[in-house]
Amino acid sequence: MLNLTINKKAYQVDVDPETPLLWVLRDTLGLVGTKYGCGVAQCGACTVHLNGEAVRSCVTKVSRAVGQKVVTIEGLAEKADHPVQKAWLELDVAQCGYCQSGQIMSAAVLLRENKNPTDADIDAAMAGNICRCGTYLRIREAIRLAATSQRKAGNG
Amino acid sequence: MTRRSFLKSSALAGGGLMLSFTWLSAFTPAGREKEMAPGGQWVEINGYVKITPDNVIKILNPNPEFGQNVMTSLPMMIAEELDVDWQKIVVEMGPHDNAKLGPQFTGGSNSMRMYWKPLREAGAAVRQMLRTAAAQAWAVPVEEVTTKAGMLHHAKSRKSATYGSFASQAASLPVPKGMKLKAPKDFTVVSRSKKNVEGQKIVSGKPLFGIDYQQPGMLIAMAEHPPGFGMKLKSFDATEALKMPGIKDVFRQQLYAEGFEQGGFDTRSFNELLVVVGNTTWQVMQARKKLKVQWEPAGDTKDTMGGGRGPKREVVVPGELESTDAQLRNMKDYAAKPAQQLRRDGDPETAFKNAATVIERTCHGPFLAHNCMEPMNFFAHVTDEKALLVGPLQAPGWTEPTLAKVLNLPADKIEIQMTRMGGGFGRRAYGHYLTEAALISRKVKAPVKLVYTREDDMTYGIYRPMYTATYRAALDANKDLIAFHVKGGGIPEHPIHANRFPAGAVDNYLAEGWEIPSNITIGAFRAPRSNFNAAAEQSFLDELAEAMGKDPIELRLELLKRAKENPVGKNNDYDADRYAGILKLVRDKSGWNQPENKKYSRGVAAYFCHNSYAAHVVDMVMRDGQPYVERVFSAIDCGIVINPDAATNMVQGAVVDGIGNAFYGGLTLKNGAVEQTNFYNYRLIRMHEAPQKIDVHFVQNDIDPTGLGEPPFPPVFGAVANALYKAAGKRFYQQPFGPQLNTPTAL
Amino acid sequence: MKSHPAPNTRTSSLLKIGTGLSFLIFITTAVTTVSSGENATAADRETPLRAGGARPARTAQDSTESAQAFSKVYKVLMSPRCLNCHPSGNVPLQGDDSHLHTMLPQRGVDGKGVYAMKCGNCHQATNTPGRHTPPGNPEWHLPPANMKMVFQGRTPNQLAKQLVDPKQNGRKSMKELLAHADDTLVLAGWHPGEGRTLPPMSHAEFKKAWTTWLEKGAVAPKP
Repeated sequence: MLNLTINKKAYQVDVDPETPLLWVLRDTLGLVGTKYGCGVAQCGACTVHLNGEAVRSCVTKVSRAVGQKVVTIEGLAEKADHPVQKAWLELDVAQCGYCQSGQIMSAAVLLRENKNPTDADIDAAMAGNICRCGTYLRIREAIRLAATSQRKAGNG
Repeated sequence: MTRRSFLKSSALAGGGLMLSFTWLSAFTPAGREKEMAPGGQWVEINGYVKITPDNVIKILNPNPEFGQNVMTSLPMMIAEELDVDWQKIVVEMGPHDNAKLGPQFTGGSNSMRMYWKPLREAGAAVRQMLRTAAAQAWAVPVEEVTTKAGMLHHAKSRKSATYGSFASQAASLPVPKGMKLKAPKDFTVVSRSKKNVEGQKIVSGKPLFGIDYQQPGMLIAMAEHPPGFGMKLKSFDATEALKMPGIKDVFRQQLYAEGFEQGGFDTRSFNELLVVVGNTTWQVMQARKKLKVQWEPAGDTKDTMGGGRGPKREVVVPGELESTDAQLRNMKDYAAKPAQQLRRDGDPETAFKNAATVIERTCHGPFLAHNCMEPMNFFAHVTDEKALLVGPLQAPGWTEPTLAKVLNLPADKIEIQMTRMGGGFGRRAYGHYLTEAALISRKVKAPVKLVYTREDDMTYGIYRPMYTATYRAALDANKDLIAFHVKGGGIPEHPIHANRFPAGAVDNYLAEGWEIPSNITIGAFRAPRSNFNAAAEQSFLDELAEAMGKDPIELRLELLKRAKENPVGKNNDYDADRYAGILKLVRDKSGWNQPENKKYSRGVAAYFCHNSYAAHVVDMVMRDGQPYVERVFSAIDCGIVINPDAATNMVQGAVVDGIGNAFYGGLTLKNGAVEQTNFYNYRLIRMHEAPQKIDVHFVQNDIDPTGLGEPPFPPVFGAVANALYKAAGKRFYQQPFGPQLNTPTAL
Repeated sequence: MKSHPAPNTRTSSLLKIGTGLSFLIFITTAVTTVSSGENATAADRETPLRAGGARPARTAQDSTESAQAFSKVYKVLMSPRCLNCHPSGNVPLQGDDSHLHTMLPQRGVDGKGVYAMKCGNCHQATNTPGRHTPPGNPEWHLPPANMKMVFQGRTPNQLAKQLVDPKQNGRKSMKELLAHADDTLVLAGWHPGEGRTLPPMSHAEFKKAWTTWLEKGAVAPKP
């Protein structure tokens, strides 16, 4: 039994400790907002926060997460109203939407660490997340919008 | 629906500890409807509209959503005539029911076009039925009953009621036909940007996609396919794999019985797979590594084609283990041989003989993989009596008959539920993975989700074909264009659309095609053929303009003027005015002739396919020694734009996708095996490679809407090729361009 | 060779500065010795260095052996397993062809990446199984921004000088330099994960060459 804390909830799971966190989230716990895209940390669809860092859960063994703090897209904000999520909706970023939870999780780390990112900062933070629909321009714009609203809300 | 309903909590240590997990399907319509209609039962007025007595109005979207916005924009058409408050309606994916909901096919950029009239009529009919019901109850003439945002009013008697209060009565009335529909000037929903109705679910990670689907007792299946085209399964030893934790079974699974008549969308690359079934995805992945499998060359095989799509016929699938080098040599040989004539105007041979100048160029495009972000997958629960299938699929209406035959079940015992798709691009029109899932479920007698890994997905096949085209143009002594010749070929199909521009604009014209049989499977890919032609032909037109001493936009406009005023030949497959319209619009919006834009390496291209017109001006700069598309101007004519902001998003995405594929897309083969297996060697465009700005402009007109999924994509390749010519000082004829460029060694 | 671990905390940075100061003094002494005692022929052929605590080459034989040893060291350092994390820019390299890391992770101040693109987000404590998966090490990082220790594009002469230049090597003492052959990231080069080529010699051979080079005078091959 492994003890996990995901989205502030405690879980006990009986899985091989070598299992990637991604499959524990999806198959064992039903937290399917975190997506499988490549399995080798190329596409970023599986990005979750492990102690605040945007780890790729497809190559992160669940053992690394034991006793640590995991946040998935489902828990990014209790009411799904994180400034990044709101900006994504405001600009209607998604097309197919499959990669977007990973994009959002990456963007949230960027905005936590840099309240006023330049375009170069945005590219540097987001180059690990692939969007086959090509929504990159809207993602950039949404990150700028989220940064602005975050600053206006006094969180900058 | 809350996460709570999926989790059974246990009161162990500290309260909030979750021990076991059960999934109550997020996709079960009954469960969802209960939540969405808390105040009463749905009353179905017609196939598309359901209303509760307390006036919750639900619109069903008929067509599967893969990111092209149909889930929002098709219901907008119904809402336009139904007269409802868009903010209050509920939109839901409809069931697979072609009788009620039409063709339900996502592909060919056809959704808007196919459903434009039927959906508005459906909305208008429901509104009329509600008005009639109210008029009968109020004993007033129906003409005096008006509607506003889900309410019925009778001004004279000051009576008002909700749609919901008359839903039952309306449902019992006959459905009126031949409704008079609104003129575009009266639209209040259509042509007004509406947000994606599933946006909130997407950003909060709700289980929307096929791969997210789970059921209690569901097993996971994966399949080994042969390591190369032309190979088949010889033997296997699953002893070690079966010892792995959670593994239930390992077995051979044949897809089609011998002689099975395949329709056009029954393409499958391998007829027999080695299936591993287990409890979880990771367990199955681990067990696959323990399989000992022997594969062998399949030799030439026979497929039976027909299945209601063309006459029954036998086709030989060559058994050769193909390699890209040999394919290229083979294409060169074929290109030199006589080919099938597809169109001839005038006397092209004589014109070329008499020409002062002949320009000849050959372009090449590789196989392309779709690489939908959500790999192929499908849920199936098949018993002897019935089949439930849930997952991502573009063409349920074509897959269901195949499934019925393969399972030997009547179609009415098969239920296909369509989930949101993590991309499609044509790939999910081929439902072999659904049929595979169904057969696996029947074999293991359990609900099963078949999941392809990225590697399975990328190497399975059904690619954009490999193409070559040679373009020739004859100029007379005045540098006027007197003849045009295109000869194109492909593995295994040629790319030529013989009646497209510049056919009709040149006196002497010849189009020819040739094809090389192959075992590499191919299929629709975001405007297949067009996406190659628009690169090759639009790049060639650019060279032609240069040779003729003309501005590339002016040359195209001159040719289109000719095609309009004095067209050559028949069946010219484009409207010269609309074609010219997008070129003029993109010229004006991009400031094509403005001196301040001279700093950019600019490339233009325009193309017509799938009933819509698209032109792009690409502005390239050198950045870190690499060509980079900094901004793009796009002009589109797709008639009435249903959902402008979403349409803009689609065009921007197509531009980014086009740039990515032009620079990086391509598959190569060695001895039948695909050499690219995941994103480390099949490169997709990333954020830092995407332009800073893509300005999208739509031609404003009242023409019935046509599609947008495909049309903006093909001309991106041509515009990139033309800009690259200026940026790099030389022209590139081979896609992808990226590997031929000097890449920086440090950043 | 991978870089040595970047300073994690303010405390460790301060400690390093302290160490650096102590052997700066030592170097000054060494310079005097070298200038007076050097063999003219050897000086002609190779450039002896003044590594932190490095004893200068005492004889032409030492000098030759040191330079020869470095040519071995250089082969290892310029192999993709070492070179890829010692780029001339701020983006690491990938693969046996040392192409730019596809998703352009940035060095960052501490060499551990930036924002959502920190090394440890993909590179785990151990190699991820399978081909083309992220190799792993608990310390995975680039040299930090204040000590980039670039290998890419360096000639043997330049690289030898740079390795022992206290201003460029984090002010390492001779002892620290010698010990660096067994640094966890250096060793990681010989456990590169499935499908990656190894450095051109065994770690033992490399360590021997490294030690010889340093102990025989840290001679830089002639430019």
